Amino acid sequence: MADLPPAPTLRARDVAVSYGHSPVIGGADLTVRDKAFTALLGPNGSGKSTLLRAFAGMQRLAGGSIELDGRPIARRPVRDVARRIAVLPQGPSTPEGLTVRGLVEQGRYPHRSLFGRWGEDDGRAVTRALDLTGLNDHAERPLETLSGGQRQRAWIAMTLAQDSEILLLDEPTTFLDLAHQIELLDLVVALVRERGKTVVAVLHDLNQAARYADWIVLLKDGRIIAEGVPAEVLTQETILQVFDVPCRIVPDPVSNTPLCIPLTRAERG
Amino acid sequence: MRAMFLALAVLAAAALAALSHGDLRLPLGAVVRAVVGVPDTPPHVLAIVWSVRMPRVLTAVVVGMGLSVAGAIAQAILRNPLADPGIIGINSGAAVAAMVVIVGFGAFSPGLLSLAGFLGASLMAAAVMALAWRDGTSSIRIILVGIGLGAAAGGVTTFLAALGDIGDVQRAMVWMAGSLYESNWTRLAALAAWTVPALLAAWLSAHHLDVALLGETVSRGLGQRVNLARILLLACCTLLSGAAVAAAGLVAFVGLVAPHLARHLVGPRHRVLLPVTALCGAALVVLADLAGRTVIAPAQLPVGLTIAMLGAPFFAFLMWERRNG
Amino acid sequence: MNRAPGRTGLRGGAPSTHALLAAALVGACLASLAIGTTTIPLPVILDALLAPDGSREHVVVVSQRLPRMLIGCAVGASLACAGAIMQAVTNNPLASPGLLGVNAGAAFAVVMAIVTLGAQPDSVLVWYAFGGAAASAAIVYGLGSAGRAGATPLRLALAGAIVTSFLGSITAAVLVFDQSTLDNVRLWTAGTLSGRSLRTFLTVGPYVAFGLVATLAVGRQITTLGLGAEIARSVGQNQAQWRAVAALLVVLLAGSAVALAGPVGFVGLVVPHVARMIVGTDYRDILPFCMLGGATLVVAADASVRLAMPEQDLPVGVTMALIGAPFFVYLARSRIGAVR
Repeated sequence: MADLPPAPTLRARDVAVSYGHSPVIGGADLTVRDKAFTALLGPNGSGKSTLLRAFAGMQRLAGGSIELDGRPIARRPVRDVARRIAVLPQGPSTPEGLTVRGLVEQGRYPHRSLFGRWGEDDGRAVTRALDLTGLNDHAERPLETLSGGQRQRAWIAMTLAQDSEILLLDEPTTFLDLAHQIELLDLVVALVRERGKTVVAVLHDLNQAARYADWIVLLKDGRIIAEGVPAEVLTQETILQVFDVPCRIVPDPVSNTPLCIPLTRAERG
Repeated sequence: MRAMFLALAVLAAAALAALSHGDLRLPLGAVVRAVVGVPDTPPHVLAIVWSVRMPRVLTAVVVGMGLSVAGAIAQAILRNPLADPGIIGINSGAAVAAMVVIVGFGAFSPGLLSLAGFLGASLMAAAVMALAWRDGTSSIRIILVGIGLGAAAGGVTTFLAALGDIGDVQRAMVWMAGSLYESNWTRLAALAAWTVPALLAAWLSAHHLDVALLGETVSRGLGQRVNLARILLLACCTLLSGAAVAAAGLVAFVGLVAPHLARHLVGPRHRVLLPVTALCGAALVVLADLAGRTVIAPAQLPVGLTIAMLGAPFFAFLMWERRNG
Repeated sequence: MNRAPGRTGLRGGAPSTHALLAAALVGACLASLAIGTTTIPLPVILDALLAPDGSREHVVVVSQRLPRMLIGCAVGASLACAGAIMQAVTNNPLASPGLLGVNAGAAFAVVMAIVTLGAQPDSVLVWYAFGGAAASAAIVYGLGSAGRAGATPLRLALAGAIVTSFLGSITAAVLVFDQSTLDNVRLWTAGTLSGRSLRTFLTVGPYVAFGLVATLAVGRQITTLGLGAEIARSVGQNQAQWRAVAALLVVLLAGSAVALAGPVGFVGLVVPHVARMIVGTDYRDILPFCMLGGATLVVAADASVRLAMPEQDLPVGVTMALIGAPFFVYLARSRIGAVR
């Protein structure tokens, strides 16, 4: 892995979140690596989606703050934040009859005036987004006629039309079948390498995260247990600590990234 | 585009039909000449078309546009295809106010009733929003609180209906059933003064509505100030509904059916959906009023009832058609 | 104490909650018999019930207050149980018997009967109300469950809204033109316990009793239905059959209630929610709670209103709306916020 650029743009400073009186995240400090793909990993209930939402400025904080370029997000107008940060939640709902182009055009919202005048810039951004996600041929099709993978790509295209440098993705691969998962992750990596985007994604599959992500953050019970490049973070000890699963780590024969092989009860000996 | 012309054509046809039917059946040609202003039109034709029927038809058009666009806004903001201005309690608020005026004070001036209806509708909508506010709004909470307050208002209305003077109650029921009987140019002007700017504002907010449809998280991610947008757009919805209620009493269903129809024709993007919805709603109300006037002539069926009687089976048919969809 | 999974509740379990409720119900009933334009003391009430001697007070108790109390119990118990069943079957905490169009159907039938046949005695109208409620519910259920997806909450609500709106508009059209019918019917449409005879109660009572007993018997099946389609199927429940049984029970119970007292809202919506909060999620506990709780609520509410305003006859439907609505709003604020 090449040395990552040192200038952080998005940062969580001692962030705490609670629902009512139960703490969900306690004292999390995380600086998002610029122009890199960061994966948030952890068991259910570890707070990864909550942390992502906090980064998006959508979570009420019980303590600490989220900073963008050194200034707290909470004080900035929502529109300005949207021009820098794009968010894709889990399982977004699509209105019936909306076409791919129709959805992607929504991504221009933060750039449009109060009365929604549509300019050349807007048209160009939409075309660019459709190109990047390979959806030009499907632009006029209604979303419900697309496959799960294509639909997810359409949503990504929407976030691309937003022209924001930071993309926050909440479990983007969870409901896709394998081919579409790979397709999506390839797209994300291309966006980071070729377009200089900063991506933070909540992922479930450890091995996929190891192969694709530049930086891994492991969470458990609302705390950051470890962060770093996959080879350093995904060790037997950390995986046992975070996921309660004994495993063997071997180098992936194709990509040389850590491959986690969980041990069955028989194999634990 | 095609759909818009289709809707416009249907509306124009409906309007012409409505202008020619009535106590005195006027041939279509005479109506067209009177509308256009051909010089040698007989004065009685001019009088019937312009003083009697035109205000009523135009009121029907404006009421239809207002109610249908209000419904489209409610459906987008509340993300619920069943939403209708009635859900946020507007209709029941107006009904209570009208009941109080009629049964409580025995007054029945159309102007007073309109004012009471408008105020009742607005107060109710404000109460619903206020009670649904807990650290921000949520569409489900708005719907639920609207149902709750609406039912309470309904209880009070029924109570007043059960105890008031029977003649008053019947008059109240006619008003509540929605009636265009009292239409005239002055009231039309007042109606248009509220409705037209609100319609324009709604249309200019088309992209805000589009984004609202995508859900709260996505909307916020795109930079929409969700709570502010909800409040402002629902205020617009209340304005449109309240004005319609003030002019014509309670006309249900238009806000529910017209947007659905329009969506089938042109899809969900509001820049096109809102105008087509308005045209569909206008045509619906004009046709329903025409039916109400002619079917049991010389008696007149209030337009709200006619719409329900026609609209409900149509909607049931739609449901049946799409049962496997 | 033998606790099946899912049964929570006050210490001592559901049985002691039920006992408490039963005691409350008895208290409410006695109060209902005692309260009125003249307060009648307890010993006189007992005498009137056990050994009536034709005195004025005994007549008041037996011919006015007793039917009122009994009907209140029947209506409250039926509506609460019907609501609980509906909420389980449609998996929708907002479901209530009115959703199936029973109220609109009953009103429609009653109004049509009066318009075509003239004023009718209660005991006859009751049958029309029943029939109208059943027919309307059948149409709503049929329309809502047509097609592959079956009776989803949205389709049912939509179907209910359509049928209610349609029947309601025709009913309103008739009333707008026929003042005498309107006069006859308007008290009934508010939902009222007054002016009913013991005979009316005895006519409809058996159906209520049958419905309530049957409800208790199918508690376990209702719980399974309430777990959702996939789980119910995987434990081998014949869903179509039990959904139909549930629908029949709802029609029987809600239809009887509306036949007895006209449309009374909120009992079917609110009592099941309270039941769930207190005794947990097993319908074998919820349904008895609803029966006792619903009856107590209606009788107590009616009695309280008569205590506060002895001259004014506030229809119970209105009372329920005024009590139920704030509770509903409270539910909406407290329960729904958590989801976001």
